[in-house]
Amino acid sequence: MEGLNEVLTLFLSIDNFIAIGVGVLIGVIVGAIPGLTATMAVALALPFTFSLAPVTAILLLVGIYKGGMYGGSVTAILIHTPGSPASACTLLDGYPLTQQGKAKKALQMALYSSCIADVLSNLALILFASYLAKIALNFGPPEFFWLICFSLTIIISIAGESVIKGLIVACLGIIISCIGMDAVHGTQRLTFDNYNLMDRVSFVPLLIGLFAIPEVLDFYLKKASPHIRAASSGVGLTMKELKASMSSIVRGSLIGVIIGAIPGTGATAAAFISYSDAKRRSPNRANFGKGELDGVAAAESGNNGVAGATLIPLLSLGIPGDVITAIILGAFMIHGLTPGPVLFQENLPVVYALFCGIMISSVVLLAVGHGVIRYFSLIAEIPKAVLLPIVLLFCVYGAFAVNNSVFDIGLMLFFGVVGYLFKITGFATAPFLLGFILGPMFEDNLRRTLLIGRGDPMIFFRGPITWCFIALTLLSLFFALRRYWLERIRTAP
Amino acid sequence: MNATPSSPPRWANLNTLLGIVCLIAALVFLFYLVPQHIEQAPRLQNPLQSPRWLPTVAGWIILLLSIALVIEGCLRPPQPEEGKGETGQDRAPAWRWLLLLVALASYWLLFEALGAIVAGVLATVLLFLATPVRKPWLYGLAVLLPWLVCLLFIHVLNVPLPSGSLWE
Repeated sequence: MEGLNEVLTLFLSIDNFIAIGVGVLIGVIVGAIPGLTATMAVALALPFTFSLAPVTAILLLVGIYKGGMYGGSVTAILIHTPGSPASACTLLDGYPLTQQGKAKKALQMALYSSCIADVLSNLALILFASYLAKIALNFGPPEFFWLICFSLTIIISIAGESVIKGLIVACLGIIISCIGMDAVHGTQRLTFDNYNLMDRVSFVPLLIGLFAIPEVLDFYLKKASPHIRAASSGVGLTMKELKASMSSIVRGSLIGVIIGAIPGTGATAAAFISYSDAKRRSPNRANFGKGELDGVAAAESGNNGVAGATLIPLLSLGIPGDVITAIILGAFMIHGLTPGPVLFQENLPVVYALFCGIMISSVVLLAVGHGVIRYFSLIAEIPKAVLLPIVLLFCVYGAFAVNNSVFDIGLMLFFGVVGYLFKITGFATAPFLLGFILGPMFEDNLRRTLLIGRGDPMIFFRGPITWCFIALTLLSLFFALRRYWLERIRTAP
Repeated sequence: MNATPSSPPRWANLNTLLGIVCLIAALVFLFYLVPQHIEQAPRLQNPLQSPRWLPTVAGWIILLLSIALVIEGCLRPPQPEEGKGETGQDRAPAWRWLLLLVALASYWLLFEALGAIVAGVLATVLLFLATPVRKPWLYGLAVLLPWLVCLLFIHVLNVPLPSGSLWE
């Protein structure tokens, strides 16, 4: 009873509620600005937490994190510019929905699936933290290697009209990801002695260039068409539509929780795996990529399912799962708390107060999201002639902000042209992005596995987790290729 | 599906052309870029750990897939709607994409010289003229918005943007 009192005293403070509200709002706004990520917002907010109480400080950062995860999807849906890498998957169906005048529907689906995934992820954190952390601890380089192989099989399902073209651009993405200084040997790869490329191709300019700039180029290179007022962007999501996507949301959340609990995997892979799973199961799979609400739900639930789960290895083992949780780990340490088993022994009331706050943050996300959707969905009604120059302005400033370098603006424009060429030649952009993200992870884990196995290939088959992922990889490949052949036979002239 | 005397041959389509371009690019990559621009590590325990291994594998896969794309293009030409973007019938007038080009160049080449605000104003006004935007008050927005966004980046988000080397 005394413990409960202590938890309530720590949690039921007006400061905590303000911190969550402000954090979520900042996160949504920053996440919605192209080029600015939740990571940047959390890092910028860290100094402001020094004078706050530990629980308030961490809840502020968690609020920004969660808001940023959702905010990234807003621009992905409305202007084909993912605010974060993970929301690149959301735009596959979100943007076509906006083009059909269903922006509000897509935004609401993204919000509800984000919130549901967030709640499930938080519950997993509270109820199964220690159990999931034990499983995650068994993940070494060979297990990661097979997880990445499994994730790479998704390329087939997001390849668009042509699997061959999808695989070509995925390989191109892998090659682009190799540019820079080799992490193990320190040798240069395709840098052409340009020091700007030594630290690999910056992710944010590539992301913005690939998705936002082609829209700008496409608009200005075509004859001006009259603006069609998308009055139907005001039509909201119905309960029936939400119910129809519920199974995808729950499955996506579970995928997000599992991926998020494994340190270093990230929300992008979770979003794509969830999307691919939903597409495989859906009776409307032909509509995926053309404006399917289920696609938005799956991508967003996979993406947000990670948010709470990344705190599992952080709180229970003291291992940060990604950059944001590494910053949150820093906040813990600044306030004299050491995440890990010791935290549960010495500061249990703080942990439970945090759990309460994290649960509340999902409700706050729902409220803030609801509040901002009505304003954000108005963006879809701004004529493109006015909107696109403004989008370009944010893109240029955002690309520059990453490294304070004009080179990144050039890089963004270069990938914009690449993205435009992809668009007019029928190459899907998503496989390129997946290849770019997964390529370095694939190579790093392959090398680490070979190093720890001293060249023995049996290390790749060392335990049940590796076998599980090998089976998943083979099954995923088999079903994807089978579906591809059946589709070819069906559409054969 | 038989080619009539006036229509282009069956193999002459977008996929075949793309396959040939990818094939040439893959050959250049594998036989020029990889040996010349990827340094080999002095000592290797395993060839799979070579800095050249992953790019080479990816290059060979592209080579094989581009051959597959050429074959697919010859045997199964894409349907007309797949190449819709290539028709060029809705192309904008030259002055419009020229203004776009100047706007993009001003962002890239003049960003540090003019500063973020002036480069932003210049590019936004040029893009408004390209459409063209007819409401005069929107040009006021083109001046105000870069300034406001710049202030947001510099003072709220703590991101330094160039103020312009020409004005210093």
